[in-house]
Amino acid sequence: MSSMTPAAGGDVTRTVARGTGTPLAGYLFRLRALIVLAILVFIFTALSPAFLTPGNLTILVKHVAINAILAVGMTLVILSGGIDLSVGSIAGLAGIVAGGLIHSGLALPSFGVKVYFHTWLVIALALLVGAAAGAANGLLVSRLRVAPFIATLGSMYVARGAAMLMSNGATFANLSGSVELGNTGFLTLGSGQVLGLPLPIWLMLAVALSGVFLAERTPFGRRVYAIGGNERAAELSGVRVARNKFFVYVISGFCAALVGLIIAAQLGAAHPATGETFELNAIAAVVLGGTSLMGGRGSVGGTITGAFVIGVLADGLILLGVSEFWQIVIKGLVIVVAVILDQMQQRYALKAAAALRG
Amino acid sequence: MNFRTLVAALAAASVIVMAGCGTRESSGKKLIAIITPSNDNPFFKAEAETAAAEARKLGYETSVNSHDDDAHKQDQLVDAAIAHGAVAIILDNAGADSSVTAVSKAKAAGIPSFLIDREINAKGVAAAQIVSNNYQGATIGAQEFVRLMGEKGDYVELVGRESDTNAGIRTRGFHDVLDKYDGLRLASRQSANWSQAEAYQKVETIIQGNRNIKGVIAGNDTMALGASAALKNAGLEKVIVVGFDGSPDAIASILSGGIKATVLQPAATIARLAVEQAHKFLTAGSTGMPEKQAIDCELVTPVNAGQFGLFGRK
Repeated sequence: MSSMTPAAGGDVTRTVARGTGTPLAGYLFRLRALIVLAILVFIFTALSPAFLTPGNLTILVKHVAINAILAVGMTLVILSGGIDLSVGSIAGLAGIVAGGLIHSGLALPSFGVKVYFHTWLVIALALLVGAAAGAANGLLVSRLRVAPFIATLGSMYVARGAAMLMSNGATFANLSGSVELGNTGFLTLGSGQVLGLPLPIWLMLAVALSGVFLAERTPFGRRVYAIGGNERAAELSGVRVARNKFFVYVISGFCAALVGLIIAAQLGAAHPATGETFELNAIAAVVLGGTSLMGGRGSVGGTITGAFVIGVLADGLILLGVSEFWQIVIKGLVIVVAVILDQMQQRYALKAAAALRG
Repeated sequence: MNFRTLVAALAAASVIVMAGCGTRESSGKKLIAIITPSNDNPFFKAEAETAAAEARKLGYETSVNSHDDDAHKQDQLVDAAIAHGAVAIILDNAGADSSVTAVSKAKAAGIPSFLIDREINAKGVAAAQIVSNNYQGATIGAQEFVRLMGEKGDYVELVGRESDTNAGIRTRGFHDVLDKYDGLRLASRQSANWSQAEAYQKVETIIQGNRNIKGVIAGNDTMALGASAALKNAGLEKVIVVGFDGSPDAIASILSGGIKATVLQPAATIARLAVEQAHKFLTAGSTGMPEKQAIDCELVTPVNAGQFGLFGRK
């Protein structure tokens, strides 16, 4: 498929949906994540009176926000033909950096003092650490040509180990800060509200909209699709592959750090093991949303829908009191079914494209 | 930015991480190998550090390693202990069934194992199995929960990782007490896999469907603290939360009016006992104690919280 339309792999299905005589099936395939979501919402509303209430929906979206923010960064990485296994560890590391700076400040042994930063600066530093970890991934993948799976697997361990080292394995508890040190207010990031909605929801909106804008409306986004579709072709048509790949990982690291901060702020505590297996949830959301793991095809919007499918499933099953074991099984089944549908869509799109050429 | 320096820094960082995984000082002394689950949990950290300190006090050299709850890694660490000529192994094992082989292997090599915190499903293989009495702990935690609830109302139970033996023993202990009271209703029972973040999210969702929740009883302290944060955020500070473990964070929370009670597992005492018995075994040929020993847990409440330190009385 990528050899057919090297630089615009993402557009094949769209053309097909518009251009064939029977577009309905094509649309249904494209909207499959939304359809699954609607079915889940319907089922849970019928089974639990508490499900479709403003209170529960707010909590649900707040839970989805964690995975969705990670998954937006992950989408860009996967669209470029890579993968980022380090996001969960980076989230943990960023949380520990923020927690440590608020809890015990930055010790400067040569001066014998401890420096405490203002909350905004703490947040900025933690995000910077996340972006820097992403940059390390980016350099490994783009300049040193390490396979993304291996590069980010390595940084997954390094980031987790670094978080453990920084806190010596302990939890930084009570992150409310103190007025004298001027570092209060960190918890607002997790529990604050704007216009009646929790702050994490607004952050997810901001990240999602930026992601959609980046992917769909900027030259950078087009280049990411092109690289994922056919890296060699993109390079030959003048795309600076290494540079664009690099930024994709930086964005993913930044998103991961944001998630780490939100979790630490919600709990009022930073734990170095936070975020274990988050990368798998993020990848699941991306795949559910119809993005191809081979790169070049998919969308940020689809990923958000995928994150909602996973979130609705998780919270709905908890409301119904379904046991943990069944929750895991059902989540796995939904992912497998989504991938089967994805394969069916690809075959359908290929056939329709062949029919178009006559 | 120069990517070579970054690569060098990354390489240096990974070396530091690897070096941190195992620490061993060499000298002419006899070696005691201490193997525990991941030290990101203060409980296991306290256990490992107390055992190491006690062993050094008795004149041993120590190696401290973590098997991260991976039976295969545990097996390799036991192999390493045998190869390094350890005279005894202090082990908080990676699974009741999957650890039997590793402990037998050590025994076959003439090295006695002293199991702490978790049992194995075999007798006569380890020189001692010293565990805290999880069942007794769960019953005293549940009794305090009943008292705080006034014997009636809806409650939520957060269970630990369901594949973990202790999660099962604790929930059994809870229910053997709680189920006797008709006024108490179990509104929801979920596993939060010992995790604070998971407990936070699950409790947030559970209270959406059950607005009359009066109490939360959790299988460990991190889940209790996650529940407490979620309830506080939802304006439900009055909900009674009881945990299990007696972690320093939980004791701090009890002292500041957060969670109401926890059950302290005497991890430090157990680690010390294990090293003492290892020393006795090595010098006198026997521990002088039965293989299985259960040490009672203690209830921690706002009244007595000030008396407790790191998994033991101060």
